[in-house]
Amino acid sequence: MNHAYLDALVAAPFATALLVMLVGRRSEGAGVGLAVLGSLVIFGWSIPAVLEDRAVDAVWIESLDVHWHLLLDGISAPLLLLTTLVTLCCQIALVRHAPDCGGRASLAALLMLIESGVIGAFLAVDMVLFFLFFEVALIPMWFVINAWGDQHDPIGRRRAATRFLVFTVLGSALMIVGFLIVKADSGTFDITQVSSASTVAAVLVGIGLAVKTPLWPVHIWLPDAHAKAPTVGSVILAALLLKLGTYGFIRFWLPLVDPADDILPVFAGLAVVGIVYGALACLAQTDLKRLIAYSSVGHMGFVVLAITSYTTIGVQAAVYASVAHGLITGLLFFAAGAIKDRYGTGDLAELKALYGAVPRLAGVLAFAAMASLGLPGLAGFWGEMLAIRSALFAHDALPHDTFVVLSVIAALGVILTSAYFLVMMRTLLQGEPGPRGSSRDASEASQRVETKADLHWLEWAAWSPLLVLTVVLGVAPGLLLDPVATAMTGVLR
Amino acid sequence: MKPQDIDWLAVYPPLMLAVAALVVLLVDAFAGPARTRREAHAPAILAFAGVIAAGVVAAQMWDNERATFCIERALEGPTGCSFVVDRFTLVFWGIVLFGTAVVALLGTVALADGRTPPGEWNFLLLSSATGALVLAASRDLVTLLVALEVVSLPAFAMAGLRHGDRKAAEAALKFFLVSVTSTAVMLMGISLVYGATGSVFFDQINASLSTVSGDLRTVAVAGTLLTIVGLAFKVAAVPFHMWVPDTYVGAPVAVAAYLSVVSKAAGFVGLMLVLTYALPSFTEQWSPVVAVLAALTMTVGNVLALRQTHAVRLLAWSSVAQAGYILVPFGAVSGSEVGKEVLGASIGYLAIYAVVNLGAFSVAALVGTRHPTQQLDDYRGLVRGEPGAGWALAFALVALAGLPPAVVGLVAKVVVLDVAAGPATWLAVVMAVNVAIGLVYYARWLFVLFTPADDEHASRYDVPNAVALAIGATFTAALIFSVFPGWILDNAVSVLG
Repeated sequence: MNHAYLDALVAAPFATALLVMLVGRRSEGAGVGLAVLGSLVIFGWSIPAVLEDRAVDAVWIESLDVHWHLLLDGISAPLLLLTTLVTLCCQIALVRHAPDCGGRASLAALLMLIESGVIGAFLAVDMVLFFLFFEVALIPMWFVINAWGDQHDPIGRRRAATRFLVFTVLGSALMIVGFLIVKADSGTFDITQVSSASTVAAVLVGIGLAVKTPLWPVHIWLPDAHAKAPTVGSVILAALLLKLGTYGFIRFWLPLVDPADDILPVFAGLAVVGIVYGALACLAQTDLKRLIAYSSVGHMGFVVLAITSYTTIGVQAAVYASVAHGLITGLLFFAAGAIKDRYGTGDLAELKALYGAVPRLAGVLAFAAMASLGLPGLAGFWGEMLAIRSALFAHDALPHDTFVVLSVIAALGVILTSAYFLVMMRTLLQGEPGPRGSSRDASEASQRVETKADLHWLEWAAWSPLLVLTVVLGVAPGLLLDPVATAMTGVLR
Repeated sequence: MKPQDIDWLAVYPPLMLAVAALVVLLVDAFAGPARTRREAHAPAILAFAGVIAAGVVAAQMWDNERATFCIERALEGPTGCSFVVDRFTLVFWGIVLFGTAVVALLGTVALADGRTPPGEWNFLLLSSATGALVLAASRDLVTLLVALEVVSLPAFAMAGLRHGDRKAAEAALKFFLVSVTSTAVMLMGISLVYGATGSVFFDQINASLSTVSGDLRTVAVAGTLLTIVGLAFKVAAVPFHMWVPDTYVGAPVAVAAYLSVVSKAAGFVGLMLVLTYALPSFTEQWSPVVAVLAALTMTVGNVLALRQTHAVRLLAWSSVAQAGYILVPFGAVSGSEVGKEVLGASIGYLAIYAVVNLGAFSVAALVGTRHPTQQLDDYRGLVRGEPGAGWALAFALVALAGLPPAVVGLVAKVVVLDVAAGPATWLAVVMAVNVAIGLVYYARWLFVLFTPADDEHASRYDVPNAVALAIGATFTAALIFSVFPGWILDNAVSVLG
């Protein structure tokens, strides 16, 4: 039973992708419908995941000692649910929103392929298997950006897609080298049996995951990729693919590092630089999607800071912040995409007074922005609060003073984050919709923000799960924190 | 010394190819010029049948090792055998026979312009393959060298056989000159090794080298390095790679496929045999050299492939880069023995590379029937217009890049990295960086395949049966090995017992 349950989680999206591709040849609509149905079934199938821990372990490649070893526990279950839910939301969003260049069914099929890879990566505890699933999502994502990305800028989107692909593969290739060194030292690819590794291995794995997360200074692929990808692509990229990095840090990196080494403070320092850098970069952005992309750099900085504290609270904070970021940033990108659809631009200078023009859409964007800046009572708050707390009370072997300084800087980053989101809301949402003054620029700009159709019911359907969960997790954080604590027993030294 | 007993079963496979070569030549000579298309395919069919027959005989020997052409020296010690069929040999025979069969099929298309005589061409193909089979079984330096020349000589002729084609002739000449030079260098190396050890048999060389000292040791080291340089020419390792792109592009696609898989594999097997069986006591001397060669080869190959817009030229540079990956395990050897994981990793990678690279060349041969210029843009819309070939090429490219869903390519890279990570971590990191660089051009080509063509009706191909078979065979093999990578790897890794 256990066996079939986990295998099906990986295989079902893959099978759905193939079916969608076949059906999509005949009829685009039917293909997308099938994708929605399939992802709904997969979401339903994944719900019992929270009930109990499960595992599958079978030899896969004997000569390499690679095992088909999947494990479902308190760390992977929330991320698994996030994956199936976000994919479902994206498929629903595709029903209404046809990309300009067509090929909706192919896009839906690629999203299912990505889901298959992401689910596999969240379940794998064999290092090679993790690496493999990690890579499964790459080529489909590359196609998504390259073929369905920003239609106004073919060269830019091609460059963004290639940069995404090369950076990620470079990262994962370094990661596998690190894994193989671990294997050479410890004799197994099973991360649950590894308790220590050489510094070289930990550094290599850390760099590989840092590219994916992404951590400053290897984040440079991210803003372009997010900004040029189609809406669903941005959502999947931000909500799911970045989580592969943070999940990898928790599951595959923490067992390798020795808290007495210098490696944890270094990564913590990079994370904090990323927090501040992300916030400052956000203040300078003029494009809505790029702004959200840079905000991800900051949020991921909090996650990595929490992980480097090498404490159970830190891991709880990391998982929490990962899930919250997935929900909130997904919502932000959905809203940004909806604005871009309606007005044909995401330029902050050209858009204003959306409260008056599309009140409900603007309301959702405001809600998501508030959640993202860490308003207490919404999901974004707990992750960052706990991250700072975990850094203040880091593991005993770590330099205490350094971490205190880092957490103070991170707290300043929270304020900067609030600043840029508030600036964005001020310029984008508020103001008077009508012409103001007599200058030609103002009247031109005001013509752009004419009233458009507000949220469609399908958009509500796609977004509401994210909205509801943002509130639920904000009110009841224990839902997520307790299972993670259980799963972490015995992992940290 | 008693007269030699020859174990005929062991020598049947190369013998059968040689006989098939003669049959092809004679049939062609007596039948006269072909009048119909079917008749023109007769040599290819005969060659294909010969390869299959050799494969069937070879398969009988998987579980019992055989050795023949042995010299018993009553006074001086152990028996030296020149011709050994063990699992190492058989895995390699599998690669050669598969490659030769696919190339024979591709030949029917590549020669269809009527400027290349199919009879002679197939005769040369089989002769060269005979040499490759003998090479894998050879266990002394002289047999190895002769076999290597038997592989190369017909290959020059194959490259330049097209009548009235100046580029092909130039390509063949370039290839010939480089190859002859490398043979000369290698011969020099071999003679020095022989001078230092007094034997040409691998196991006896190994035994004497571990005790050799003083000036003789210097001579032996010089001989070792020269031998490696000679073989590096054959596998087109940088900086001995200059002949590759021009030769591949100048020659028909089928010849490029042969050179990049069978002939290259022959060079590798020579290198593996010499390093593993004859020179393991000198790892300290040759391992760093091979490591540097490997790093240079993959980096130069990948970087130069980035700019290519000619499909076959791109494949040529990519095959240079892939040769670098195959060398990596030998660059990471330490101690006085080449472990079985080192040899297994190299052979495993070579086998997988052979299958997927042949797949890519098969599709290139098909596209070449319509677009002889082989520009990357000629591949536009292939997945939609000709799904069988398009998906096969897409899969082969993804496998060469080493990404899922082509698990086979990914696992091959993991196997190689597995050996390097630890003993030569820097080399593993260089390889990791190279995998990322390589991705850029494979991805570029991949995207072209999926881009819709400008004119839909022009993208239909008339796929000849032989090419369809070649594409189907390589694609199916790659798919099966992607689901069960153990089938190819476990066998390849088990070569040393």
